[in-house]
Parts: sequence; C-alpha cells; structure tokens
Amino acid sequence: MRVAVAEDSVLLREGIVRLLTEAGIDVVAQSGDAEDLLRKVRAHKPDVAITDIRMPPSHTDEGLKAAQQIRSELPQVGVLVLSQYVEQAYAMELLADNAAGLGYLLKDRVADVDAFLDAVRRVADGGSALDPEVVSQLIGRRRRDDPLEELTPRERDVLGLMAEGRSNGAIAEELVVTERAVEKHVTSIFSKLDLSSSGQDHRRVLAVLAYLRA
Amino acid sequence: MRRLGREPVGLALLGLLYGLAVGGLILGSNHVDGRLAYAGLGLLVGWSFIGTGVFASWRRPANRFGGLLTAVGFAWITSGLYAANPPVIFMFGLLFGNVWIVLLAQALLAYPSGELETQREHRIMAAAWTSGLLLQIPVVLFLGTPDDHFCKDCPSNPLLLVDNQATTQVFLVLQGVVGVAALVGLTVVLVQRWRAAAPARRKELGNVLWLGLAAAVLFSLQLSLQTLQLDGAVANLVFLLAMVCVVAVPYGFLAGILRTRFSRAEAVNELVERLGATPAGEGGLRDALATALEDPDLSLAYWLPGQSRYVDAAGRPVELPQRGSDRAVCPVEREGRPIGAIIHDAALSEHTDLIRAAGAAAALALENERLDAEVRARVEDLRESRARIVQAADEERRRLERDLHDGAQQRLVALALTLRVARSKMDGDPEQAAALLDEAAAELGLATEELRELARGIHPAVLTDRGLGPALDALAGRAPLPVELKQLPGDRLPAPVESAAYFVVSEALTNVSKYAQASYAQVSVERVNGRVTVEVRDDGVGGADPARGSGLRGLADRVSALDGRLEVDSEQGRGTTVRAVVPCE
Repeated sequence: MRVAVAEDSVLLREGIVRLLTEAGIDVVAQSGDAEDLLRKVRAHKPDVAITDIRMPPSHTDEGLKAAQQIRSELPQVGVLVLSQYVEQAYAMELLADNAAGLGYLLKDRVADVDAFLDAVRRVADGGSALDPEVVSQLIGRRRRDDPLEELTPRERDVLGLMAEGRSNGAIAEELVVTERAVEKHVTSIFSKLDLSSSGQDHRRVLAVLAYLRA
Repeated sequence: MRRLGREPVGLALLGLLYGLAVGGLILGSNHVDGRLAYAGLGLLVGWSFIGTGVFASWRRPANRFGGLLTAVGFAWITSGLYAANPPVIFMFGLLFGNVWIVLLAQALLAYPSGELETQREHRIMAAAWTSGLLLQIPVVLFLGTPDDHFCKDCPSNPLLLVDNQATTQVFLVLQGVVGVAALVGLTVVLVQRWRAAAPARRKELGNVLWLGLAAAVLFSLQLSLQTLQLDGAVANLVFLLAMVCVVAVPYGFLAGILRTRFSRAEAVNELVERLGATPAGEGGLRDALATALEDPDLSLAYWLPGQSRYVDAAGRPVELPQRGSDRAVCPVEREGRPIGAIIHDAALSEHTDLIRAAGAAAALALENERLDAEVRARVEDLRESRARIVQAADEERRRLERDLHDGAQQRLVALALTLRVARSKMDGDPEQAAALLDEAAAELGLATEELRELARGIHPAVLTDRGLGPALDALAGRAPLPVELKQLPGDRLPAPVESAAYFVVSEALTNVSKYAQASYAQVSVERVNGRVTVEVRDDGVGGADPARGSGLRGLADRVSALDGRLEVDSEQGRGTTVRAVVPCE
C-alpha cells in the first residue's frame, strides 16, 4: 500500500510515517502544507492521502480543501483527514454525497495503532472511517420524539459502528458476537428507522448519517 | 393669573356695606368721643383686613389665611357696634368686641399655611377664645350700664343679670390672665417660626411675623397693665402702639408678597440674561438657579429618556425626593419632552409659577447639561462594564489555570512517572512494563481529550472557520436537551458579532440545562434591517433573574460592548427567552 502524509508538525508527521512504515506501508510522499501535498498526490497517485486540517499558511482548513480537491480530481485516491478536534460540519462537508474512500479521525486515534491502521486500510479499499466522536455527537444529539429511543442499547452500538464505516464482520468482532447476530440487528435497525438497506458499507454510512442529520 | 370670581367680589361688597352701616351707627353714637375719627379709622382698619384677605384668598384659594384676614376685618367692624345707640346692637358689640383680636391671633398662628398645625397652637387658640369670647359673657351679664365708672352715657344692657361690679372685676382679671397667657404663647410661636424659616422665606414672611410679634408683645403688656389696674395713660399709649402694628399687618403681608414676587421675577430675568450671555459651565446653571430662587441647596436632575431615569451632572443615578419631604420637584420640559427636574425647598412650592418660569428660562441650558450628563452616564456605565469585563477575564484566566493545573498537567506528571517505572521494569518484568505503557497511553488519551475540551471552551475553531451555523449546530448537538435551530443567517457575520452571538447562545443553553427544567429549546439568529437578533427560548419554569447570575451580566457586557442590548423575559411558569440585539450594518 502506498500512502502520502501531510502534517505541518514535523514530530507528529515523523511519528505517523514511522508507524506506517513499521506496519509495512510504503510512505511515498511527505508534506508540510496542502499545496505540496496536492502536487505530490498528483505525481504519485497513492492509495491513501493522510492529511491534517490546519496547516500553513493560514492555519484554518487548508487540509480540508486539499482533501476535497483530491476527492474530486482523483476519485481513486482515498483520503484520510486528521484533526485536532472533530466537528460534524466538517464531516458533512467531506462526505457530501459520497462516503467511499474517506476517513475523518481525531489525531488522538493515531495512538491506537491497530485501529488507526485498520482505518487506513479501510479507506484504501474504498470504505469509510468516521471518528466515533462524530458518530456519538450525532447519535447522542437529543431530539423531540426521538426515534432512536426505540432502539435497544445493543442496536445503538451497532448503529454507531455502522456509522463509523465498519463492516458487519468488524462489528461482530468488536462486539464479540456472530456476524449473523449483527446482520439481524442491522435488519431490525433499518426497519425501526424506516431506512432502505443497501449493500455496501460506505453507502450504509451515508444512509445512516443522512438519517441522523435529518 | 386667575380671574376674579363672584365670591371674592361679593365678600368685598358685603364688607363695604357692613362697614358703611356700622360707620353710620358710630357717627350717630351718643356715648363715644371723636366719632368721626372713630368711624374713619375703624373702617380703614376693617376694610384693609377685608380687602387684603379677599386678595389673599383669590390668590391662593386653598390657603385659609386669606379667609382669616377677612374674618378679622368683619370682626373688627363688628366691634364698632359698641358705639351704637340701640341697646341690643350695643350689647352685641360689647359681647363680640374682642373677637377680632382672637381671630387675628389665629391668623398669625396659622401664618403662612392657614392651618393650625401643632397641639400647642390649638391650646393657645383655646385660651384666646376663652379670654376673648367665653369670659366676656359673664362680664356682660354682670355689667350694669349706663354706669358712672365705666360708661355713663351707654345704653342700658339688655342682658344684665345682676349689676355687680365686683363680679365683673373678677371675670375681667380672669380674662386678662388667660389673655396674657395666650399672647405670650403666640409670641413664642412667632419667634420660633421666624428662626425656622429658610432665608428665602424670611423676606416674604418677615413683615407679618415681626408685626404680629410686636402686636402680641404690646397687647400682652397692655393687658397686663390693665388687669393690674396700673397707670391708665401708659396702658392707653401701649394700646395705641399695638394698634399701629395691627393696622400694618395686612399691608406688611401685601408688601412681603410683592417684594418676593418682584425680587424673584427680577432674578429670573437676570437668569435669562446671564444664560443668554454666556453658556453655563460646570455647575453654573445650578448656581444661577439657586441664586434666582434663593435656595442654596437647590439641585438639578437630568432625564435620560433611553433609560427612563434621572441622573446628576456626573451621570450618577438620582433618587427624586418623596412627596411630603422637605424637598420638592419641579419637572422641566422642552418642546414637550421632559429634560430634567429642579429639586428645590418644599417651601418654594407656593411659587410653582416662578420655578416654572426659571425652568423655562433655563431649559436650553438644562438641555445642554442634560446631554453632558447623558454622556457622563454612558461613560460611567462603560467604566463599570469595562471593570466587570476585566474582572471576568481575570476570573476566566484563573479558571483556565486551575483546569490546566488540575487536569492535563497532573496527568502528564503521572504519565512521566508511569513511563519511568515502565522503563525500570523493562528488563526484569517486560510484561508489567507493557501493561504500564498501555496505561500511559490511555492516560495520555485522557489528557488530550481534556485539552481539546478546554480549547473548545476558550474559542471554538469551527466558529472562526465555518461561522455561526455549524458552531451553533455543534453546540445544539452537545446540549443535554433537544435544541432546534429555527433560523440562521445565510451569510457570515462580522467576527465580533458571531462571537457574541455564539456565547449568548452557549451561556443561555447552559442556563437552560442548569435551571430551567425545560424539555426543549429554540435558537434563532436573524439579521434584519442592520440588526442581528439572537434569541434562545425555552419551555421551562421561567423566573430567571437577569441581575442574579454573573453569566447573564457578563453576556450583557459583551453585547453592550457592541452597542447592543440584552433582554431576558422570564415570567414565572412561562419559560425564558434570552434575546440579544446587536447593530450590524
């Protein structure tokens, strides 16, 4: 797997690069700002571009814009956006109408190496990786006549993991249940929330998020 | 000026006719000497009192002083009936001959208010009526006329019970003693009244008080001499002097009114000239008004229409004196709008027209000073809110320091320790070292999370990057109750406005979740006609007091720093609405 990394903090960038390299991932490009990242991504066409949001020169949302640029210009390149904090607003901007090959994670998640590498691989394979924080903000949001109240606690867990972009297999592993049980939960959730189920994981993400945002 | 009504004219006419009738009786008298002088002087005194009394009543109908003066005039003329030849009329004059002096005493005691006010004054009047009228009855009952000693040409007394000189004498002495006591009491009251009068009042009241005082002293002297049956010639001279004072009372009263009227009118004229010539400087207007109205303690209050309150020249709030206190208020208007008030001695309330004239003359200058005061009040408010903002910022910094110190910093110290221990275990017990490292990583995760929350509390980055909508959306998402974003501006607003709006919503939602017991809240931010209105409405218990929490106070300061205002509607049981309106062109 080939990856490009953009992060203006050298310390963190090297940490991420080392982590990836040790996991056998090929880091083909490193950048300290979004301009440089775009240039290198266009040249190397990696499987995944990992980018920070706040970068020079203005330290606002350069990385976000670069991510969107990459997604529209090179749809085959997965994009994993890292941020010091996560906001639903950014998640929605990134997702737009396509959750394929997209990740949006807190920088902290890098420390949980296995989960992080799993997210990178998912994005590289055209799946999604949405930070649990964003998901819990969406699910935790209080609503009048909340339809989520009809879900069992276990179903809520499953809903959250689906929204993060996990596959049924991954969810089963996480919750230590059989994949068959997860499938039953998913069916129940979709019928309770009156959603039409769709096959692929990243489409499922979009459907669930759209529902939660409504 | 008030028009002369029917009543005063009728009263004056009645006095005139009554006087003429009694004058005729005096001229035809067969038992008094110097009839022409008696009649002429008598009528002059009577008519003076009646005329002055009628004038005073017409000028101040509510004040009974004028009525008392008129009564003195009629009673005085009545005393002239003593000269009448028909026995019944003669007896009438004899019986009521002293009533005028009792009424004069009452008028003096009641001056200037027209009312007897103290218990002591009522007691003095009781003594006066006893001496002047009550004790006169037995005197008349035992006084046989004609009588060689008393009046040898007088008509016979139709009320005579028994002709007994000794009894008459006893009652005359009793009459004298009680009368002197009443007169001494009157003297004391008049002296005290003079001393208590404000300088501005002395000029007006002085004449009557001094003349009344002199008359009271002289009458008491004369009555003492007469009662003790001492030198008759001296007693007559003293009586004459006393009468001079009495005659002068109505004229002194008129002179007092005219004098103050003229001097005040002149002072107001001067005020107009002075204010026209030079703009009044600091306190200049107040001093000018104090001089013109002769009230050194006079003060001014300026009306702030925006805040519906009075302030002084320095911009500090002013409490207007209550009704019934010794200070009174005269509002000043300009072009129909209130601009301020003159706070003056309540004694000046009798001259409201003068104060109004002075106020009208000073209105322009007062308006200027009012604008000054308004600016000062604003500066004063700003100074206070700036102090609060500085204090709030200090408190915020202290809170941050505490949060950092108790939170992330402690965790990092613990982390360093954990790592050291893990390092030492690396060779001997690699398994425990690994566990410790996991623990350290978890600890580090918590520290980062805390720092992230702290940073968000200081200033949410999404507000700067994406504006109010996404920032409020995130805020609503984290709130522990359903929050509906009803309306949000489509475009970005100026950063300070966005920031103020965000913190208004944030603080309001915090309050809602802490106190309101609400099930639902609504947030809207609207930009209309150059103003941004931020509104947070809940369906909770209401009854929030905006003065109570420092949070709302701080919000009000933040909003007013942008020239906006913060309103809180929180009727008990009707939910709470916090509304901030900020100008935004």
